[in-house]
Amino acid sequence: MSNYHDLLLFAVLPYLSVFVLLIVSIQRYRAQTFSFSSLSSQFLENKMHFWALVPFHYGILTVIAGHFVAFCVPRSILAWNSVPVRLYILEVSALIAGLLTLLGLIHMIARRATVSKIRTVTSKVDWVLFALLVVQIVTGILVAVLYPWGSSWYAATMTPYLWSLLQFNPDITYVSALPLMVKLHIVNAFIVVGLFPFTRLVHILVVPNPYLWRRTQVVRWYGEARRAG
Amino acid sequence: MELWLSMKKNQVDIPAFKRDYITMLNEDSKRRNPGIKRILPQALLWIAAAALVITLCPRIAAAQETAAFFKQNCASCHTIGGGRLTGPDLKDVTKRQDRAWLRDFIMNPQAKINAGDPYAVKLHEEARGVLMPSIPGMTAEKADFLLDLVEAESALPESQFKGLQISNEPFTPEDIQRGIALFTGHQRLKNGGPACISCHTIPGLGGLGGGQLGPDLTRVYERLQGRTARQCMALSPRHADHAVHSCAMPPLDPAEIHALVALFEDTAKNGRILPNVAVLNFSLLGLGGAVLVLVLFDLIWRARFRSVRRNLVQDNQLRGLP
Repeated sequence: MSNYHDLLLFAVLPYLSVFVLLIVSIQRYRAQTFSFSSLSSQFLENKMHFWALVPFHYGILTVIAGHFVAFCVPRSILAWNSVPVRLYILEVSALIAGLLTLLGLIHMIARRATVSKIRTVTSKVDWVLFALLVVQIVTGILVAVLYPWGSSWYAATMTPYLWSLLQFNPDITYVSALPLMVKLHIVNAFIVVGLFPFTRLVHILVVPNPYLWRRTQVVRWYGEARRAG
Repeated sequence: MELWLSMKKNQVDIPAFKRDYITMLNEDSKRRNPGIKRILPQALLWIAAAALVITLCPRIAAAQETAAFFKQNCASCHTIGGGRLTGPDLKDVTKRQDRAWLRDFIMNPQAKINAGDPYAVKLHEEARGVLMPSIPGMTAEKADFLLDLVEAESALPESQFKGLQISNEPFTPEDIQRGIALFTGHQRLKNGGPACISCHTIPGLGGLGGGQLGPDLTRVYERLQGRTARQCMALSPRHADHAVHSCAMPPLDPAEIHALVALFEDTAKNGRILPNVAVLNFSLLGLGGAVLVLVLFDLIWRARFRSVRRNLVQDNQLRGLP
């Protein structure tokens, strides 16, 4: 890849994606507040739903948390990895999370493709998102398997690169020499970020987090007729 | 005030009001615009100062920047007066070769070699086929600044770019042990870089072995022709290979390089490249773990709601009903 392409993909695209993410998310929330949802289809099909949603979400949340922690505290990760057994435990755990994500995603796609009720409520942009997520997760797993040990080299490549982006002084030398697979993983991530506000991914912004700590609510009918039941 | 005085109670003298208002505006305008003659000297002074800053700053900054640039991009393969590394010692290079030629070469080394320039081909051979990479963002101006720097540094009795001085002491078993500790990360690298195992592997690491982002280092000692200053330097993560194939990392300390070379010499003597089963083991561990987690999910949510109708049918079948 030439320098020009690298510059475009690693110094321009990230800002473009984040800009689109912010502007369109806000605009969509103002214009179509109630479209901020993952549009659950659990009601239409429940059996495959479990094997799609549960592994996918536990997997992806673990993987994203890992990327985020390595970005925030790279030195602590390196300190953890300084004993090879600990490095191997971390890497295998991350690979397990990645494989669970892939398995969940395969189930999701199969469910949307085979169950006719679900296919009806699937939009074109859902398929685009599925394609991007497949690329993202497959390249992620391949990077983990073909170019170990990412949890360590992330600290010397991705962390300084992402910081340089955050400080509005992008330094693409950290990433321009990485293998193509790693680059594809990075670029595709920026594309997903850019398309985020156009897809059902917006549900991430409205996750009902307080459900985790609020007191349980008892829902009951209000009125004489239902009191017996 | 005058404006208000001209406005009597319930009775406005329009012409007087207009006159006063215009006078007021004129005075205000004079106060705000003191006239070109008065501000010209001051303005000229400011313009001159700004011009000075604009012309001088980049030159001062350029000199500092060039040294930093050299350190970051050139010092991994070149010294100034410290002997050959991957690339030649640059001391007095401007006396050995024409400046315009050097400028062209810095800007695009490959083009010169491809064009069959005899001097460039000779340099390429002397570097044992390692091609000098084109530096991103290199311009003729930057190349000139670099040549100025090399000239100035060559004139000094001891350049700041004479390179690392690495111990020539014979290797001891302790050096090898320290090399292993540094390679695996048990001993943290002084400048904070990730341990070698993050990207490289050598035999005898056990477990799942070392990383695969960088090359296998089993034969690195032979590949780099034994233990010389050049090979030691080549171990520095700012080595040309790293610049081309990997990433920017904090440099190694001379004592660390000494211990790592000891390890690589030992590996070259005793090690043999084993078939790489680490990737397979790693994948199998991942797959096994994923299956275990799925079983766990099934157990945790064993009482999950599955369907309405199927349960009813099953109940009926158990009771022997149609």
